[in-house]
Amino acid sequence: MKRRGVVGRALRQMGEDLWLQGVAISTLAVALAIMGAYLALCLNLNQAAGRLLTGPTLLVVTDPQVRPEEGRELAAELARLPGVASAAYVDQQEAMIRFRRQLGPQADLLDDLDRNPLPNAVELVLTPDIAAPPELAAHIKNMAGVSDVVTGRPWLQRLERALRAGGELAVALGILLFLAVVLVTSNTVRLAVHVRRRELELMALVGAGGGYMRGPFLVEAVLQGLAAAALASLLLWGLFALLAAPDALPWGLRLGQILAFPPLLPAALGGLAVVSGLMGGFLGVGRSLHPREVL
Amino acid sequence: MIRLEGVSKVYPHREEPALKGVNLQIGPGEFVYLTGPSGAGKTTLLRLLYGAELPSKGRVVVGGTDLGRLAPRHLPLLRRRLGLVFQDFRLMPRRSVFENVALSLEVAGTDRRIVERRVEEVLEQVKLSRLAKSPADTLSGGEQQRVALARALAPGPDLILADEPTGNLDPENALAMMRLLVGDYVGGATVLVATHDPTLLSLVRGGRVVHLERGRLEEAS
Repeated sequence: MKRRGVVGRALRQMGEDLWLQGVAISTLAVALAIMGAYLALCLNLNQAAGRLLTGPTLLVVTDPQVRPEEGRELAAELARLPGVASAAYVDQQEAMIRFRRQLGPQADLLDDLDRNPLPNAVELVLTPDIAAPPELAAHIKNMAGVSDVVTGRPWLQRLERALRAGGELAVALGILLFLAVVLVTSNTVRLAVHVRRRELELMALVGAGGGYMRGPFLVEAVLQGLAAAALASLLLWGLFALLAAPDALPWGLRLGQILAFPPLLPAALGGLAVVSGLMGGFLGVGRSLHPREVL
Repeated sequence: MIRLEGVSKVYPHREEPALKGVNLQIGPGEFVYLTGPSGAGKTTLLRLLYGAELPSKGRVVVGGTDLGRLAPRHLPLLRRRLGLVFQDFRLMPRRSVFENVALSLEVAGTDRRIVERRVEEVLEQVKLSRLAKSPADTLSGGEQQRVALARALAPGPDLILADEPTGNLDPENALAMMRLLVGDYVGGATVLVATHDPTLLSLVRGGRVVHLERGRLEEAS
């Protein structure tokens, strides 16, 4: 005769009620898909912000007549100025390559340009302790061969502040969504406990401890979570693929140009499912089983 | 083995107490009938003994353990020393006879080989070896009650509590069941059989009889 361990007992009780499994897994899959879509959005925004925030903090645009070797001499001269950490001459072809890299999946948008609109320029990285960047910019603007100076720092600082505040909000919303997933898991476990109430009470009568009764439900919650995570990943991947198709979105927009499916999303959802399965399992069983509550 | 001192049990929303100042002492190895009409408090008394209820007043001591002071997390350890048999069998209907009997050993973490050997032994005792692989819900009432008894006997309990064990059985099966509750089969365990049926008393002679009437206990013989 075959005697089963906790995983075997969990698999057996799952197999005994496939309808219940279907309901539990599909409910969890919807909850995880919402969580996954939110994670994908956050990761994409974070990557886009990272690309923007790693640029130079001062851009010195050279006159159109300035030749590349003169531009490089200007860069060397600028690098010697107090408050400048480094200076690099970037011609317009190089600038376009970098711009495409910064745009990432959205770089296709530049394909329609007739000509390269970016100027030759010197990129300056300022030292963090610089006291008065506007004065430095004004000084540089008066130098020979300089057409304009673009100071990116103020709007970058505003963007940084906005992203930081948005990040905190995103984490709070993420925690709320995670708690919702835990609650859904806990309720599916409570439903499973309710369905098997008689059997559990019988186990309690013959002396089963909390661990013996709880174990299969925890394993079941984790397995359901993993199945739901796989289903949710598949669902999101399909949705991304569908919306990335030409004409899927209005106004000529293509999802692939705005958002990309994060390759680590299935693993992240799987991890979340395991943690929420354990937490929800403990909550769901803990609230439902008490040794004195027997038939 | 069992000591009840001034035990009363009052249920909310019920005027009459289920038990009123019950005093009872049962020694090791005794066979005791707990008789009384339906609603006399027999099931309540048994539920107090296996820790499904706490007394409203008084002390319930089983095997030296005061159940009023027993933490719920220790209740499983007490129940592993008990064998419980119910009128409605309380089997896992879709599980095999073997699995039903093995349950009382598995919950205690008994080694797999010991479980197999012991289950075979008790199934032999209750004459159900040939049905070991059958699902419990395919068995007759008499067979199901023998499975329940085998489950109760498997861990070698100190105390067997049987609540109307023959209530759903015909006379022939009832006699067979009562014979299994005495002698070598129970391995010297204390046996307390609750019944409302006075004809049952003639099936096992020599047992002590205690009678419950509207929650009060009286010694009948």
